[in-house]
Amino acid sequence: MTRTIPLIISLTVAAILTIVLCTFTGPAGFGIPSAGPGAADIVGSIRLPRVLAAFFVGASLAIAGAAMQALFRNPMADPYILGTSSGGALGASLAIVLLGGFFVPIFAWIGAVAAILIVWSIAGRRGVISVETLLLTGIAVSFFFSAIVSFLIAIAGQNVHQIIFWLMGGFWNASPSDAILMACILIPAGLLLFFMGRDLNALSLGEETAAHLGIDSARVRWVVLGGSTLLVAGAVSIAGCIGFIGLVTPHIVRMLLGPDNRVVIPACILAGGILLVVSDTIARTFFSDLPVGIITAFIGAPFFIWLIHKRGVVT
Amino acid sequence: MTYPHSINAKNLHAGYGMQEIVKSISCSFTPGTFTGIIGPNGSGKTTLLKAFSRVIPSAGILELDGKAVSDYSPAELGMALGFVPQDEGRPFSYTVMQVVLMARYTRTSRFAALAPDDYSRCHRAVAETGVAHLADRSIQTLSGGEWQRVLIARALAQDTNVLLLDEPTSHLDLSHQSDILSLMRSLAGSGSTIIGVFHDLNLAALYCDRLIMIQHGQIVADGTPEQVLTPEKILQVYGADVITSCHPATGRPFLMPIKTTNGNGSSLKPLNVQVISGGGSGADLLHFLAGKGFSLSAGILATTDTDYLTAQALDISCIPVLPFSRIPADALEKLRGMLSHADCIILSAHPVGMGNLPVILALREVDPAQIIIHLPEGRDFSSYDFAQGAATAALNELCEAGALCTSCYEGILGLLKPEIPRTPPS
Repeated sequence: MTRTIPLIISLTVAAILTIVLCTFTGPAGFGIPSAGPGAADIVGSIRLPRVLAAFFVGASLAIAGAAMQALFRNPMADPYILGTSSGGALGASLAIVLLGGFFVPIFAWIGAVAAILIVWSIAGRRGVISVETLLLTGIAVSFFFSAIVSFLIAIAGQNVHQIIFWLMGGFWNASPSDAILMACILIPAGLLLFFMGRDLNALSLGEETAAHLGIDSARVRWVVLGGSTLLVAGAVSIAGCIGFIGLVTPHIVRMLLGPDNRVVIPACILAGGILLVVSDTIARTFFSDLPVGIITAFIGAPFFIWLIHKRGVVT
Repeated sequence: MTYPHSINAKNLHAGYGMQEIVKSISCSFTPGTFTGIIGPNGSGKTTLLKAFSRVIPSAGILELDGKAVSDYSPAELGMALGFVPQDEGRPFSYTVMQVVLMARYTRTSRFAALAPDDYSRCHRAVAETGVAHLADRSIQTLSGGEWQRVLIARALAQDTNVLLLDEPTSHLDLSHQSDILSLMRSLAGSGSTIIGVFHDLNLAALYCDRLIMIQHGQIVADGTPEQVLTPEKILQVYGADVITSCHPATGRPFLMPIKTTNGNGSSLKPLNVQVISGGGSGADLLHFLAGKGFSLSAGILATTDTDYLTAQALDISCIPVLPFSRIPADALEKLRGMLSHADCIILSAHPVGMGNLPVILALREVDPAQIIIHLPEGRDFSSYDFAQGAATAALNELCEAGALCTSCYEGILGLLKPEIPRTPPS
């Protein structure tokens, strides 16, 4: 407990430094590019929006992941567990194949939200929804959507490359409006999840436990799922399916600060943002703009394994 | 405003999906009582408890402090009723204190921090259940018993008038069982309504004011432990043969299962064994021999003797006499009759005074080879002699004449099996 405040402050400082340093880092090296007219514009109108978009997307995925892990009482849950990613992928693939790549973000967003609505309505058909039913329905719907995406890839012809890059996730097209949009989702949804922190704590010990402690489990589940869906759908529509951040960031945060969601949620905003900004900077600086999803997993997985070995505890 | 019943259920039905577990149960609970719900596995005890706490939907009337449970908001219910589950998953490594503080969530606005009062209440709760020293430990490192006491502390910290406990002592050792149940007793004493599910009937009898026995989702007995825990009810509901008696130290009913197995499953006619004992020396031996399938008789025994109660409980024929009086002649006559029918006589060393000396003397009339004397290790006959040497002399005489002596039950068994003839020699 005593180290919570210093660690949150350090994370905040680290987040600001990361945003500043990464804005000034690019293929041309560190600093404001000097070559050519309008080079300074690169920093302001291209790099800064991209860094901010990456920060907000990383933060969104991380808190959605933390919320899902608490909700499903399962440290292996990730923000895509109920089918947001495959729903988004289906929407994006349809836009690429049918509309020649127009409206991809909107279609991805619609696909992601539709997936959750379908899962919820199927799981809720028999009255009381158990977490297990929701989880299994989510997995089934995910596989079904993924099958359609695979079919679209098979018939996509020259668009295959575009679909696959979208699936791996990246910030090539990040615009200032993307960053603003994501911030507009993140701020209210982040506050919502933060103030649901205690409910998430109780719920992470079981739904009956939460009910016995006076918590309206059904409503909390609704609100948390709704908030997480908006966050993840927004992130997917801007950046595609970036893996790993949403699964691992909450673990890293819990290792450092314990599992209290009142601490985990704000810390995840900072840590998730930092991780994705650094990964994206590495991707565009050293790997000629590879999909950032590759970098997050390639660097993140060994880092995570190192942490597990060092701490010996995962949750 | 206080209501006569803190929980009042009428025609309550509850279950899981299509499966109805609790069938038309009606019962009410007054404040200040500690009630135990007992019944065999699968009888619906836990389901009933969870129906009370509304985590399982129920049909029928269910009121808490005079108001329908369905009219409570989740937060109101959390402040009116505490629940201790049998166990709870521990997927995340909260500290013990973090888990106990969850009890105070409903009493605090989500936009505020917990108050110092909340912390002190929780510190008191962990002290009461003996887990204060674990306050900063991760719950994932606790033993089952420690975790169970944390869950009880959390329910205590909810400060509710009603406390439901689902087998609260299932993971606890002997001393913690009595600590926790004494704590529940004192809570009931100060006006709380405590309802617990129990498997250990003796523990339930010891601490509860009232027991409700459930079978197939219906109440089959409801009353004081003395009224509910009768051998007939236990046999009917649990299918187990038990002896009930009043525990001498607590005055509460006490149950003990009887082993009714026929030791070696032999189809031979069992040996007739007469046990001579007294002062409680033979109670354990009678249980041991009954378990091995011998046909037993006992006596002469005073009606206040533990051995007599054991013989009664095990349905062993014996010759009762009044305590502290001379053994009447007809009792000695009966004893001679029993001795003549016995294949073997086991004399369990017991205090012999002038009053019961005639029993020992009667043994001189039977074949000494039929007599086995059980003398505990490290004791001699004179230490049991309160008849000025007469008993020692009589026992030594028996040994010299060929009676065998052993210090353990297995020894008795060894002597009984191979060497005793099927029919007594003339």
